[in-house]
Amino acid sequence: MNRREFLQCAAVLLGSAGITPATFALTPEQMTYLAAADDYVKQPAKLFSVGQRAIVAAAAEIIIPRTDTPGAIDAGVPHFIELMVQDWLNDEERAIFLNGLSDLETRIPQEFGKSYDQLAQEQQLAVLEGLEAAASDSPWYVQGNVRRAFISDAPFICQLKELTIWGFFTSEAGVKQVLRYNPMPMKFDGHYPRNGEDSAWAPFAFFS
Amino acid sequence: MITAKNFDFDAIVVGSGITGGWAAKELTEKGLKVLVLERGRDLQHGTGYLGEHAPSWKMPFNGKSDRKVVEEEFPVQSKVYAFRTANRHFWNNDKQNPYAMDEGTPFEWYRGGVVGGRSLMWGRQTYRWSEDDFKANARDGHGIPWPVGYEDIAPWYSYVEKFIGVNGRKEGLPQLPDGEFQKPMPWFAIEETVRDRLKKNAPELTLTNARTAILTEDLPGRSACHYCGPCENGCSTGSYFSSQSSTLPAARATRNLTIRPNSVVERLEYDETGKRISKVHVIDSETLKRHEFSARVVFLCASTIGSAQLLLNSTSAAFPNGLGNSSGMLGRNLMDHFLGLGSVGIFMEHQDSYYYGNRPTGLYIPRFRNLPGQDEDPGFVRGYGYQTMVNTSNWTGSFNQKGFGAGLKDNLRKPPAGWMFVAAGFGECLPNPNNRVYLSKKKDRYGIPQVAFEFSWGENEKAMARDVHAQAKRIMDAAGAAFSMSLGDPETLSVPGSGIHEMGTARMGNDPTQSVVNKYNQAHDVPNLFITDGSFMSSSSCVNPSLTYMAFTARACDYAVKQMQAGTI
Repeated sequence: MNRREFLQCAAVLLGSAGITPATFALTPEQMTYLAAADDYVKQPAKLFSVGQRAIVAAAAEIIIPRTDTPGAIDAGVPHFIELMVQDWLNDEERAIFLNGLSDLETRIPQEFGKSYDQLAQEQQLAVLEGLEAAASDSPWYVQGNVRRAFISDAPFICQLKELTIWGFFTSEAGVKQVLRYNPMPMKFDGHYPRNGEDSAWAPFAFFS
Repeated sequence: MITAKNFDFDAIVVGSGITGGWAAKELTEKGLKVLVLERGRDLQHGTGYLGEHAPSWKMPFNGKSDRKVVEEEFPVQSKVYAFRTANRHFWNNDKQNPYAMDEGTPFEWYRGGVVGGRSLMWGRQTYRWSEDDFKANARDGHGIPWPVGYEDIAPWYSYVEKFIGVNGRKEGLPQLPDGEFQKPMPWFAIEETVRDRLKKNAPELTLTNARTAILTEDLPGRSACHYCGPCENGCSTGSYFSSQSSTLPAARATRNLTIRPNSVVERLEYDETGKRISKVHVIDSETLKRHEFSARVVFLCASTIGSAQLLLNSTSAAFPNGLGNSSGMLGRNLMDHFLGLGSVGIFMEHQDSYYYGNRPTGLYIPRFRNLPGQDEDPGFVRGYGYQTMVNTSNWTGSFNQKGFGAGLKDNLRKPPAGWMFVAAGFGECLPNPNNRVYLSKKKDRYGIPQVAFEFSWGENEKAMARDVHAQAKRIMDAAGAAFSMSLGDPETLSVPGSGIHEMGTARMGNDPTQSVVNKYNQAHDVPNLFITDGSFMSSSSCVNPSLTYMAFTARACDYAVKQMQAGTI
């Protein structure tokens, strides 16, 4: 089978979404090929207020800004964060996130006279840097503390960074336009040239 | 042609994993009408691989595991490296099918939950045992002597290797005999550098391709690897060997195969007059209805733990302690390789070199300790090998750093400079009758007693673990690592079972008072019962065991059919 034949074969397989073997004890999204599913970020979220959404989007864009490649907002990260806080964080983690978010929501207008998302970018950055400085003793920052699902008592700023970075580098834009993506390499070459500016390959599996 | 008279089938195979698939293929190809009973759900090759090639943004939570489901339904299975959202449906549901974990001692039991069993998610490492592995028990007195030598099994190794497709490199080592190999997969530049330095600084070591059941050349109906990476999500091109990609299709092609999924075998009924298994009692996991099937011969391929559970639960007046257990050895001599010890080396060479494609296997350092004629007093018997891998790091290893903005984005986007080369030891475990699986008083949802474990590592494993630790450091020094770090604590061995190489619960031997099966995997006590999964292993060697299970299964099928033709079964 050559590459073209393989891709045709894969396309046929992926196109036949929706098979529902009656005996599978699976969640509805697993009843179809995951590769043919809708993007996860297309799922609905209704956790944040309009004002909170603006704050989360501004903060995510400070963490991963648009440069010559897409940034957090381009990649749909703000909505990813809302989905994860709504559906994936446990109660303890969600409470920390929502407390941190409402702190920004109430404290920033008191200090600056306008909401976080209306601040100049330098001010937005300074606010996040202030949160990071206050949280810098958190075990979240310990080098190598990455092979785990989530740190349940991590401070808000750490949650925000983790969700932003995960959302970004697993998004279609992050994977295809910022990292490098080739799901069907057809060969292995251990002497492939490296240029200092090249991006890493997108990982194919996560420890999570 | 053998015909079934008064039987539903000529043969019943319990389990469709790596050995059940082989038994099904061999027996159907020899003309037998075969029923395969599989506890797990049905799954179709290709179309059942729901997470294959799924990109992260299509996955629930962009690929982060669904913690609620995992904690409630897969608390054991989710600990294993190969478990993920993309293949969660391949694994045993721990809530539905538990074992008695709060009894005895800790043991991690990883199980498949679909047709194909663990052959779908296995590590695909494929090594022959050596002549010395088969002689070790007789020589040092641990366990009982193997009634089979390398020369008996070598032709069966070849037979299996040619069919499954193994890529590897011939090295001419007596401790790791060469096999029938497809061309080896290429190497990372840093691996070549490590090999060259080891040749110079530690010439007693060999660094070779991990011999792996992944195709580098097409076989009928199966394509060479396309290097997508995560084999254990399933492979619709059949590029790695599984029952699903290889043996079950071959068995199906004979038209002699019936597979019955959702079929939990409760017990085997023993007929004292005929001195044979007369019926196999099944509970349908969907309908909870009971069924019974009969056959001239039964092959147990339900896994080392599963087969022991079934036999222990099959009591009768003749066998009050479990079917075929006149020796008292059933469930005992449970072994697993200990792992998790080794070393990580950081290398700063080859900064101008990267990689293309995801090579789904690593390299291997075969056993070098206690080989005949060396190592007078190492403090332990037997030996170990190292699996090695190059860790290709990315943002998932460093996302928890300080900083914001374009600088952070750029840091996370690029691969780190340097290379990480990991050597992880797999150590041989000695047989010990006190290490065992037994039936708990606790029952599962079918009323079948759950299993519990008693297992502790012996002094030999503990001494060997210290050597695995020390030698790994020496290897990284010899390889010229800029920096190296030990993996694991040599005083704390891995949780038993976590090597996923459990074996030994129905050991093979010539002496029926000491062993459960004879040299053809036939139960001493029950002539129409063959046990060919990892249960028969009388010792564990240090190499990954699946190839040996497959070779013995094919050989047992050949023997069983000849006996049936001769009318002795």
